[in-house]
Amino acid sequence: MSGEQHKPEHRWGMAIDLDRCTGCQACVAACHAENNLPVSTPDSAAKGRAVHWMRVDRYYEGEFPDIRVKYMPVLCQQCDEAPCEPVCPVYATYKNPEGLNVQVYNRCVGTLYCGNNCPYSVRYFNWFAPEWDAPLPLQHNPDVFVRMVGVMEKCTFCIQRIRRGKDEAKSEGRPLTDGDIQPACVQSCPAEAMVFGDLNDPESKVSRWAQSGRSTRLLEELGAKPKVFYLQRAK
Amino acid sequence: MYLTGDFHEMQAAATAILELKANRFSLDDLTVYSDEPVEFPRGVLDRTSRMSLAAVLGAITFLLLATSFVYFTQRSYPLVTGGMPLFSFWATGVIFYEMTMLGAIVVTFVWFLRESGIFPRRNRGPAPAVEPGWICLRVRCEPNQMAEVTHWLNRAGASGVKKIGEAE
Amino acid sequence: MTTAQQVIPYDEVRSDLWRPLTRVSTAFMVTLTVAFVVGLSGLIAWGYQIHRGLGVTGLQRPVFWGFYIVDFVFWIGISHAGTLISAILRLTDAGWRKPVTRAAEAITVFALAIGGMFPIIHLGRPWVFYWLIPYPNARILWPNFRSPLLWDLTAIVTYLTGSVIYLYLPLIPDIAQLAEHAKGWRGVLYRKLALGWTGSDWEWHALERAIKLMAGIILAVAVSVHTVVAWDFAMSIAPMWHSTIFGPYFVTGAIFSGIAALLLVMSIIRRALHLEKYLTKKHFNNLSKLLLLMSLLWLYFTMAENLTVWYGNEPKEMNVFGARVRGPYAPYFWIMIFLNFLVPFVLLGIRRLRSITTATIASVTVLIGMWLERYIIVVPTLSLPRLASGWTRYGPSWVELSITAATFAAMLMLYLGFSKLFPIVSVWEFEPHTGEED
Repeated sequence: MSGEQHKPEHRWGMAIDLDRCTGCQACVAACHAENNLPVSTPDSAAKGRAVHWMRVDRYYEGEFPDIRVKYMPVLCQQCDEAPCEPVCPVYATYKNPEGLNVQVYNRCVGTLYCGNNCPYSVRYFNWFAPEWDAPLPLQHNPDVFVRMVGVMEKCTFCIQRIRRGKDEAKSEGRPLTDGDIQPACVQSCPAEAMVFGDLNDPESKVSRWAQSGRSTRLLEELGAKPKVFYLQRAK
Repeated sequence: MYLTGDFHEMQAAATAILELKANRFSLDDLTVYSDEPVEFPRGVLDRTSRMSLAAVLGAITFLLLATSFVYFTQRSYPLVTGGMPLFSFWATGVIFYEMTMLGAIVVTFVWFLRESGIFPRRNRGPAPAVEPGWICLRVRCEPNQMAEVTHWLNRAGASGVKKIGEAE
Repeated sequence: MTTAQQVIPYDEVRSDLWRPLTRVSTAFMVTLTVAFVVGLSGLIAWGYQIHRGLGVTGLQRPVFWGFYIVDFVFWIGISHAGTLISAILRLTDAGWRKPVTRAAEAITVFALAIGGMFPIIHLGRPWVFYWLIPYPNARILWPNFRSPLLWDLTAIVTYLTGSVIYLYLPLIPDIAQLAEHAKGWRGVLYRKLALGWTGSDWEWHALERAIKLMAGIILAVAVSVHTVVAWDFAMSIAPMWHSTIFGPYFVTGAIFSGIAALLLVMSIIRRALHLEKYLTKKHFNNLSKLLLLMSLLWLYFTMAENLTVWYGNEPKEMNVFGARVRGPYAPYFWIMIFLNFLVPFVLLGIRRLRSITTATIASVTVLIGMWLERYIIVVPTLSLPRLASGWTRYGPSWVELSITAATFAAMLMLYLGFSKLFPIVSVWEFEPHTGEED
């Protein structure tokens, strides 16, 4: 890791159109499959221990029969000034040059401070060693770690897909194009409500969506500078 | 050789010390043994101590060490967290403060061992046994000064003048 | 008010204060056995937790910190007993502190040692806790000095070193006395620890200088230690944690609970070791007044904290505030106010009610109340995060309860052991003519 200050080539971001989201949770399921997320039992879910790097929050407004439901897929916002980073005593989480808030599983000691300081509550802890009923372990993604007990984890913007995309582009001798890399959630959304790409590229879809009039960010007033943009009609 | 005189009152011991000092005995020859610290008035048995200075110097040393340690280790493996600068005085100031205090603590203790003669162990002559509540004044003198010392001790009110040990 | 001055002769002082070292009563053995059993169960519970993972606790996202952190702050707070009594009163030359200082300093050391275990106990992977310690390694990896947890580490290490030295220094003359008379393994131990102390004036001089310096340093360190512990919370942006008042608030609370702990311990040893002549009504009276003062100061800080939050009416903070004052945590909150303020105010504020018994009662209620205060600070904020989808409830599991109980047992055992090795009242500092009755 060099300390050179050069402008990074990419700055990954995501935009989610809440007006298109149907709350189907295909993104949740895709994330589970892609990232070897542990499957919870009814017991552990009841104890609040279910792990969903991508989760869909549901908010209900109004009284029956005039109920409106708002769906909000919440994932790690990959903040530019992430509050979770400075409080980790062992540098298990820090910002990499491409703007990703990386989590180093090997290094995590499990002080759980980062989880407390995340205002979006998107950090998940391995309370026990993760288990899968057979034959699920056969489905594991070989590009992704299987985490151990006592380690914090969260959405990585499918960093393994980012790396694969960059490697493929490099080996084919062409630059990365917008849409080459899609995290599992973005890929699986049937309503095409999510886009992912390079915020450094002003022509990319994510940059254009981020600059739309409907673009907001979650808990923006905290100044964490999240890189997930939520598009919704003004309230 | 050493002579000892036992006193019950601090004032009597102080008188004896002043008399002996007036008769060309130096402070190095005089030692007071007791079960509790004896508060002599100023000018009687003042020993120089540089413990405060040592503590301050120790504190400053540890401060410098801590600052350089934090600075160089963060430079050796720079990782950006939370958009904060890499080396931030205020973000690590507490550590400097604690290390400064630790320096003061450690040096104070070490200096105590040094000034009390515990470590490095200095041979300061034989120590007389002291009864609780008594003050024992030990005087180092030549054999030909024995009578003189005994005289001064008795005049100040010593209850028993004894010879202890051989000068080493 | 007439004061009867008893002159207690040296021999009596010595025999009174040395007798507990060799006499082992039935009460002692029973207490020790019970404490041992409780301590052992806690150790087993911890072993179970290491084996299976933190999941055996009641913790869940977003309540990532629970009982263990409450215990941590509580015990570090208790450790301020020695600092206040020993250091501040030494610096202000308050003579009445003399029979009390060693008991207080011992509380400090043991509470710190126990409190310092919790940063390890609460870890997800405690077997690599040493990664927080800066040591040279092949990967040139260093810990993140910007993290408040590293500040915790340095602060507690410094404070522990300082308080051990601060406990040991005034012990040396007493150990030397014991070394003259003790035989067997005790004699060997005392002679080693006495460092060849002879009671010469240069030794006394060096000792007194060192103690005086240490008193000032330890005071500065103690204030910083609990401020740093408070900043574990205040440096985060969680609602009602991110408060500028936390530093002084926690230090005040620490001194408050420290005095309560000292009062309780003194009350127990006075009874158990028959030290009525040495720990007199005057000492309890003075400590009671201090406890009352700290209670008022604590109330002031609590009010300032809650009033500003309520008046500010910021939605996320009001969620937490409402939960504390009206919601699920309300019973704990109001019981805390009752135990921390009302009980000491009535029992100690009303002159006629103030006695050694009521002081003991007040100290117990304050200890419980201060534990509740730490709980009220840690848990409601975490259970009501900014995004409402994360709102949850937290309750401890048997593992957390067992380990918490074990820390009290550990404190008891350490103290019992200490009282059998060293005189709990400083013999050389105790003036024979201060056996006053007030």
